[in-house]
Amino acid sequence: MLVLGIETSTPQASVAIGSEQGVVASALVSRGASYNEFLLPAIGFCLDQAGIGYRNLGAVAVDVGPGLFAGMRVGVATAKALAQALSVPIVGITSLDLLAYDVRYASKTICAVLDARRNEVFDAFYRTSPGGVQRMTDYRVEKPGQLAIGIASRPEEVLMVGSGALLYRDAFEDLGTVVEVGGMAHAFPEAKSLVELSLPRLFREDFDPPDQLVPLYLRRSAAPIKWETIRGTKSA
Amino acid sequence: MEVGEPIPTSWEIAPGADALTLEDPLARKKPLSEWTEDSLVLGIETSCDETSAAVVKGGREILSNVIVSQGELHGEYGGIVPEIAARQHVEALTPVIREALFRADVTFWDLDGVAATLGPGLIGSLLVGVAEGKSIAAVLDIPFVGVNHLEGHVYSNLLAHKDAEFPAVCLIISGGHTLLVHALGHGDYEVLGSTIDDAAGEAFDKVARFLGLDYPGGPEIDRLSLLGDGNAIRFPRAMVDEPGFDVSYSGLKTAVINYVRNAQSRGEQVSVEDVAASFQQAVVDIQVTKTMAAALHAGVDRVFLCGGVAANSGLRQGLAEACESRMLKLFVPPMELCTDNAAMIAACGTAMFKRGLRHDLDASPDPNLSLA
Ligand SMILES: [Zn+2]
Repeated sequence: MLVLGIETSTPQASVAIGSEQGVVASALVSRGASYNEFLLPAIGFCLDQAGIGYRNLGAVAVDVGPGLFAGMRVGVATAKALAQALSVPIVGITSLDLLAYDVRYASKTICAVLDARRNEVFDAFYRTSPGGVQRMTDYRVEKPGQLAIGIASRPEEVLMVGSGALLYRDAFEDLGTVVEVGGMAHAFPEAKSLVELSLPRLFREDFDPPDQLVPLYLRRSAAPIKWETIRGTKSA
Repeated sequence: MEVGEPIPTSWEIAPGADALTLEDPLARKKPLSEWTEDSLVLGIETSCDETSAAVVKGGREILSNVIVSQGELHGEYGGIVPEIAARQHVEALTPVIREALFRADVTFWDLDGVAATLGPGLIGSLLVGVAEGKSIAAVLDIPFVGVNHLEGHVYSNLLAHKDAEFPAVCLIISGGHTLLVHALGHGDYEVLGSTIDDAAGEAFDKVARFLGLDYPGGPEIDRLSLLGDGNAIRFPRAMVDEPGFDVSYSGLKTAVINYVRNAQSRGEQVSVEDVAASFQQAVVDIQVTKTMAAALHAGVDRVFLCGGVAANSGLRQGLAEACESRMLKLFVPPMELCTDNAAMIAACGTAMFKRGLRHDLDASPDPNLSLA
């Protein structure tokens, strides 16, 4: 089954098309990407280069975050509309699961950390298990300092991956040798992993109900803004 | 994989991938230039707090127009919360599109084009509609066009009335916009004037909130006005005697607030009905005066009233009387086309397709998109 993977929940955006035999095409941009400008042309490029069309796609997989709100919304909305128009199933996978899955060969506890801006991070802990990873904690949004305290309280060695780990590495590396911070190659989730990780769920027919698939915000919607500040943008 | 076993290098399309039960879109594909009275366009509108999808035939016949309003979600805040609006669109749009196709009794493969609101509006809301509209167009290999929301409002009149034509002077009046436009033809607009501060609908909502009325305040003021005397209090009509077609509402809002506070400080009983009626009368006087002057200036004999505040009974009546005495023909859309809706976007999009316009799949929303 050919799966289209869509990942736009971070400053990096990527798409990939692949099956159980591997990835047939992918495109990625990390700089200056407007998700709406990148996404459909990139999918079209991948389809063209692989010599296939939309109707060859058997499923859509999408990164549902946590991450940047605008990116998550464009990604999830695009994935839902493509799946709807194609009448194919959709699977949503979290950005932190993708990050952890990428380093599943490490024999340590994995902490996936993404920069959440506003001096906060999104994170979750994983242990490696045969063929993948197993999440041990809830998805959280917290200050890097709080996460550092959480890590210090653990007896085992921890591998931290993701843009949040890189951005606040000083805070984590101060904890001593129990913490290793992963490299740049694992800073962001990628659509290639998304395709790979979605396949077992697709074969199990563990689809997401498309109407209920929403981004994983982890934050309540911002406090009500003052009426005056949205002048010129409300319409009716 | 065993040691020495070759890594697969050719990627076959997996069995089953071709067995999708989709009709072949190429089988019924028409040449792009052939836009007829039977062409079907899917419209998508997500510029503010209404999630809407519609199917319009030939640009003038509404086959379906599904609108999900988020009013209750925002009511407790007394205004639109952009983040709440954006989240709702992501949840609601896919089922709303499905419902619009169902009610029109068509499938995706019957569509000839997709039109979605490109702006102006809330960026977080706009990008959901643009992303979904482009995705559907890409899958079906049909053209996509991004529509100016204000131009869409103008088309609500063309949808509702078979005899509505350009040129016309259009009063686009809503919670976010108040402008007078000379529409010379399809896609050919001259903005004659606009509010220099608050939109009219915004003034309604602010005054309603000050008077302790429920959100949205416009309909409440309209209701109370019928019980009060519009000439009881003489509120100022800013800029009404000045040349040009701009209007201002922040002074009027302040005058209402000051009047009520002063009366209360003197211990006088304030009639909420009279305040509401007198405020509404001031708005109607301002807009009717400016609209009539604009029609005279533009030399047209048609006036289009459009936008959410077009639902206001005082404004409808005031404009109807003024137009009748000047031999102008007034067009007012039915209530369901006054508020934000996707049918007007589909109608406007169809007119754009007919002129050969379309957007590429890298189109992005523009929250400050202007008309003309
Ligand atoms: Zn509007």
